Amino acid sequence: MPSRPILLYPHMILKKVCAPVATIDDKSKTIIQDLIDTMHAGPGSVGVAAPQIGVTLRICVVDVSKSKLGKNNHHGLLIMINPEIFRKEGAAIMREGCMSVPDYTGDVERAVEISVRFQDENGQVRTIEASGFEAVAIQHEMDHLDGLLFLDRITSLKTGLFRRKKYK
Amino acid sequence: MDGSGDAAVHFAVTIIGKDRPGIVAGASEVLYRLGCNIEDSSCTMLGGEFAMILIVSHEKPFSKTRLLDDFKAFGEAMQLSVFVRTLGKSEIHYETPSGEICMVSVYGSDQPGIVYRVTKELAERQINISDMNTKLIGTPEQPVYVLMLEAVLPEGIEVEHVTRLLEKLKKELKVEIGVRSVTPVSL
Repeated sequence: MPSRPILLYPHMILKKVCAPVATIDDKSKTIIQDLIDTMHAGPGSVGVAAPQIGVTLRICVVDVSKSKLGKNNHHGLLIMINPEIFRKEGAAIMREGCMSVPDYTGDVERAVEISVRFQDENGQVRTIEASGFEAVAIQHEMDHLDGLLFLDRITSLKTGLFRRKKYK
Repeated sequence: MDGSGDAAVHFAVTIIGKDRPGIVAGASEVLYRLGCNIEDSSCTMLGGEFAMILIVSHEKPFSKTRLLDDFKAFGEAMQLSVFVRTLGKSEIHYETPSGEICMVSVYGSDQPGIVYRVTKELAERQINISDMNTKLIGTPEQPVYVLMLEAVLPEGIEVEHVTRLLEKLKKELKVEIGVRSVTPVSL
């Protein structure tokens, strides 16, 4: 399956609240594979959410294992269907960028540790404890499922938002 | 004016004056009526002054005099100083930082030379400052100086190098100096 183009804001799908996946069928498996391929196609990308490729379903993929910040603390490739965060601890600020909002970054506060429940591609319910960069990536991707962009969460104005290097 | 036909004209506009409500609204109204686009801007209160720095563009070339004339009434009414610089076509590009970005925080008892000494170390190593602000806080008896800056590290210079580089200054000036990476994460 090919990687799909990432939708850019102001595409209206990016502000939609996505619907839960009722049954995991071949169609959802295609979407999952497209999400993984799209993530791998974007250099340095550590996650993609379904609305970013135009699908308004609660599915996202995260993989921080190859990133500098996440390589020592990760769960590998996470395929998350209908994910829910049921525990959040701590708060830390990280400067985030998003493939759907090119050329901007902003300082966003996220929980440092989270517990997440989700279904994997086989419909198995999994629960993981994530922390550090992986936790940030999961929270960022899950925000997409609720139509939220990092722009909705920027807390500091002082140096929070400025032009950033381009995704090639 | 570069007089290059259909190329958009860009100006750097600086507006500064006693802070009061309505400065931003007034300045942006002038620009809006002229058909200018505010491409980049940063505005902040410094002391009791409000300072605006804007890069504005217009599809059709027009003169700096025209822009200043249109600002005249508003500037006089609000007692603001308005400066305009025409930007040449070659100046209009957004340099996108390619290296690590680090935040340097410096604070301690106020003394002459904090900004100079810190930034000199950076400049000597081609470390470019992309953002900086300073503030004098504390009490008249014990004034404290705070300096926050963001810098783009050139190839081959790591955040740890900058930490080590400023270690000597920290002791000499008896100030706290912290360096941390704020390189954006791509999600």
